[in-house]
Amino acid sequence: MFGTPDERRILWRHMREPVLTACALLVMLAVNVGLGATLPFPHVWIVELVVAGAMVATILLVSMEVRHEPPLVKLFAGIGFFWVGILFAMTLVDYLSRG
Amino acid sequence: MSAGAAETPVGVKLVSHFATVEQQKRAAVLGMWAWLLTELLLFAGLFLTALILRLLHPEAVQEAARHLKFWIGATNTVVLIGSSLTMSGAIQLSRLGWQRGMVRFMLATAALGGLFLVLKGYEYYADYHEHMMPFLSDRPYELKDSPPSRLFVNLYYVATGLHGLHLITGISILLAMTWQASRPGFLSRHQNRIEIFGLYWHFIDLIWILAFPVLYVLNR
Repeated sequence: MFGTPDERRILWRHMREPVLTACALLVMLAVNVGLGATLPFPHVWIVELVVAGAMVATILLVSMEVRHEPPLVKLFAGIGFFWVGILFAMTLVDYLSRG
Repeated sequence: MSAGAAETPVGVKLVSHFATVEQQKRAAVLGMWAWLLTELLLFAGLFLTALILRLLHPEAVQEAARHLKFWIGATNTVVLIGSSLTMSGAIQLSRLGWQRGMVRFMLATAALGGLFLVLKGYEYYADYHEHMMPFLSDRPYELKDSPPSRLFVNLYYVATGLHGLHLITGISILLAMTWQASRPGFLSRHQNRIEIFGLYWHFIDLIWILAFPVLYVLNR
């Protein structure tokens, strides 16, 4: 498909970041699957949620290239997740604080 | 140059209501993000409901979640991460003007999306055989003694069904775009369509990355 050494070198230069990103996501998934399958300690769900959050941040910043976007797009993407944060925080504060 | 990497000119055709190509490209990205955020809020409501059900009815939700196919869900996550990689490949090659390679990456992305749907379909089929579809009136529900579990299982079908609908839409658009992108001159006029669609595809991946722990992992 990409015959010459020059082409392969150019391809790798451009694919290096996506390949490393996919590898990082697979490692984080393996951690979550391992934790979910073995349940090694109480409150393991906290670690699972942190790992899932790290995976989402990786996709946003690297795969969706938010870190290279102009400030307005960064603001938009950030505000969207901030709204979701408010939704979750205000709702869960109610349920978690019930006696 | 080999066939896969033959370079074609890359660019975006300026439409009349924009002053510059750069302005047009940025407006397209911003518009896509505006839409993706409405989608995020839609799925966030479903995931929040799943967490509340877990808090209110922990035993019932855990009992229902034991019937979910954990390993198929994990495999499907791997498949979608792979499809994000091939979509990123298509975007990178579109920037280089390597049209044929880009088209191959797009086809690989659609194929991985199709594989996800096949695995999901098998999961639903297994659920059907295990009587885990409480919304079917002619088929007794396996956990009929646990009414709250119905809420979780129904929510599971709504969330995964909605995600599947997004994936079917994405595959359809991707295949249509692949056909367009394989024609001469596409990259010189519409390169940014690949980038914009890539945002949507990565977002489908992101939603599943959240759905898998919320539905499958946390409730074990």
